[in-house]
Amino acid sequence: MGTPASTRPVVRTGVDIVAVARVARLASEDARALDDVFTPDELAYCRRRGSANEHLAARFAAKEAVLKAFGTGIGRRMRWTDVEIVKERSGRPCVRLHGEVAAWAERSGLTEVDVSLSHAAGLAVAQAVSVWDRPPGGDDALSPD
Amino acid sequence: MASQTEIYDATKEAVVGALGVGEDEVTPEATLMDDLGAESIDLLDILFRIERSTGVKVQASDIGEYIQGGIPDEEFGDDAGVLTDKGFDQLKGAMPQIDDSQRGQLRAEEVINHFTVQNLANLVQQRAGGDSG
Repeated sequence: MGTPASTRPVVRTGVDIVAVARVARLASEDARALDDVFTPDELAYCRRRGSANEHLAARFAAKEAVLKAFGTGIGRRMRWTDVEIVKERSGRPCVRLHGEVAAWAERSGLTEVDVSLSHAAGLAVAQAVSVWDRPPGGDDALSPD
Repeated sequence: MASQTEIYDATKEAVVGALGVGEDEVTPEATLMDDLGAESIDLLDILFRIERSTGVKVQASDIGEYIQGGIPDEEFGDDAGVLTDKGFDQLKGAMPQIDDSQRGQLRAEEVINHFTVQNLANLVQQRAGGDSG
């Protein structure tokens, strides 16, 4: 209304929640799984912390939240390591994209992405917000579902 | 190379172990996400269990590759995200249980919700045979 749809920034959010015990079980059964999901820097950061599994779970939730905000899930040729959660000097988490996810985001007009993480009572939660210069995936049409 | 039955049994065992569901719930037609409640981390667990028991490595992103084949995103779905005829034809090859009535309606992002235990076993079989599809 007033502003043409094609010039309005488009905001998409994603949220995910992960049981810390679920990540702990996966890590204990097959540590190689962690290498498929987390970058070396993410693993090093989490392992330096007292409660590594809580931090790993929060990062897994964050990767999922980002991919939900993008509307892709794990698409073709994408890797969980393509979405990296790093800490700014202030301690604030931010998102660094790599590989196919970065390429897809650039093609689709991503301008900003932000994430927030938390964990308590055995659960880790993350919310991601993404801003696009056009509807990602062409999903500007409203669906009845 | 493992037989189709062995691959299916290994897939079923991995699903039961990862999701903690009953063996009777894990039928070939059961969808991993909608029917059995798998989430992404469960999928990762399932794929590693399959690798441990069969030696066949399947990445989560291979599922998308299996579904979409070599068709580029812009040809697989239209501007509204609905599968094109070309995309739907490819999908029917990978997931033959998809009903023809879904043609022209199914959105690309919804396809994963229809991915069944049998579809996963077929993907593992394909990887075991070295056929990338």
